[in-house]
Amino acid sequence: MKSYKQLKSERKRVAVVGTGQTKFEARTPQKTYYELALEAAMKAMNDAGVTPENIESVVYGIYNDLFERQIMPDTYVHDYLGMYGKAGIRITTGGATGGYAFRSGYSEVASGLSDVTMVIGVEKAQDCYDWAQGKTTPEVIKSIAYSADMTWEFPLGTSAASSYAILASAHMDKYGTTEEEAAMVSVKNHGNAMNNPFAQSPMKITVDDVLQSRMISYPFKMLDCSLYTEGAYALILMSEEKTREMEVNNPVWVMGIGSSNDKSFTGSRTVNDRMGRYGDIADLRNHYESAAQAYRMSGIQDPRKVIDLAELHDAFSFTEIQAYEAMGFCERGKGGKFIRDGVPMMDGDLPVSPSGGLLGAGHAVGATGVMQIGEVVNQLRNNAGKRQVEIRNGIGLAHSIGGPGSSYCSVSVLGVD
Amino acid sequence: MKTSTEKARETARKELKSAPLESVIDGIISEKLNLDPSVLEHEKYFEIPDKMVMFYKYSYGEQSRFFSELMNHAELYGSKCKKCGIVHFPPRAICSECYGETQWKKVSNVGTVLSSTTSWYATSEFFDKVPYAVGYVKPIDAETGMLQRIDLRGREKVDPGAKVIARFKEDRKGVVSDFWYEVVE
Repeated sequence: MKSYKQLKSERKRVAVVGTGQTKFEARTPQKTYYELALEAAMKAMNDAGVTPENIESVVYGIYNDLFERQIMPDTYVHDYLGMYGKAGIRITTGGATGGYAFRSGYSEVASGLSDVTMVIGVEKAQDCYDWAQGKTTPEVIKSIAYSADMTWEFPLGTSAASSYAILASAHMDKYGTTEEEAAMVSVKNHGNAMNNPFAQSPMKITVDDVLQSRMISYPFKMLDCSLYTEGAYALILMSEEKTREMEVNNPVWVMGIGSSNDKSFTGSRTVNDRMGRYGDIADLRNHYESAAQAYRMSGIQDPRKVIDLAELHDAFSFTEIQAYEAMGFCERGKGGKFIRDGVPMMDGDLPVSPSGGLLGAGHAVGATGVMQIGEVVNQLRNNAGKRQVEIRNGIGLAHSIGGPGSSYCSVSVLGVD
Repeated sequence: MKTSTEKARETARKELKSAPLESVIDGIISEKLNLDPSVLEHEKYFEIPDKMVMFYKYSYGEQSRFFSELMNHAELYGSKCKKCGIVHFPPRAICSECYGETQWKKVSNVGTVLSSTTSWYATSEFFDKVPYAVGYVKPIDAETGMLQRIDLRGREKVDPGAKVIARFKEDRKGVVSDFWYEVVE
């Protein structure tokens, strides 16, 4: 791995130079998935000051073929965007699709294959429809449940929520994390979303509201769970050389990327294996490893001190608490205390998910991780409107996770000079 | 007063006994559309119902013996690595820790819950089963655990560390749901 310091001295850094998004909504009957992608792409190109001719390759983050009713949906987006003739690839890594699409886009530019790459996450998550119950959600969670191992786990009635609830139960048992502490995450993120005009679920709620909402998968209640969302988010990535040529005035540099996949059979995270130093089923081991890689590349020693803001993947409130620990923002097992002390609040030392996160802004699966990175970019550019946090060191972090038992994780660290 | 969801569940539950889920849903779609065509938007944005259905025939490969022992003898098998000694459950032919070859090993019906959750919300296929618990269970003589249903028997949840024992269906089909666990009192 080349360090950021070295890349900087060689002028081989990669910048994010443009962001664009659609509103995140429960349903978007007014647009198909490729129409959503185009809206975000045009906004991002406009923000970056580039034209379609400048784009040399595109990375698509689209999670689930069953959502889109389409195998290889990326090829139809590519066509609709008029990107024919250019390289296009698709990433699908569950909830971490956006983070991994960004990793892939970074590789495109850092390798020298492209000078300008577009990363687009898009998802039309709620066309799945359960006609027996007259609702989208049961069918949406079914299409996600097919991501569980089809032989060993799916037939038992598992779901995304139960997969992550098992991790949360273990964390509660091992460290004494409480449902109240998790509820505080939900209150914070729904509240933060009130300042995000693109958010799906801005809400002023209380800890009691969360605790009293209907049980989904113990210990997760309804308000501990993000809602599925339709929407798109696009980023324009550019080589350092090209930013000079095009005189980009506010590049946000990629300082570090770390990614790690743990065993997807969560029950095997028990042997004294090479991830054992990070813990067991109660600890998001691959999140620790991803952060360690990203910090090593970025040259960050004390993340709690130098990071101005983080967007953490709160598909479920408890997961954000587990992530505080894995990102090194607090000691292991002290994630609950971290939020009780107010550190991740908007007026705290290290605001977490000013966008509202997945709980507040919505979970448009493939677009989610791209949105989180875009939020960090706009915060670092001091361009985040009413939800702008104070930028002191010019460093932000985005955390993208997914898969059974959170087996995928990619952490991106971004910074400004 | 029953909610519309509860009513729909009752209808589906009744019909599921006599027909496969897919044809029940087909029936519900045409009935709903006959009753209230405005359930779909046609004026501004044109919506239509759709489905994706696939049928398969597939092999368990080198994990086959787990399922044949389960179906024929109601016994649980893991695999022990000849090189590093780890007992994998579920079994794997080659150890993922050291790439050593493994050999079949019968494992205990008694196990420990690593962690579990109680599901109160489910897809159509499982909504008549809620609440139900799923969790990772490690047999006492294995190093890894597999996901399985844990009978709640009136409990709200099963805590990590609970001791459980495997129970087997009478009519086994060679699938993972041929057995489940119960808490040992």
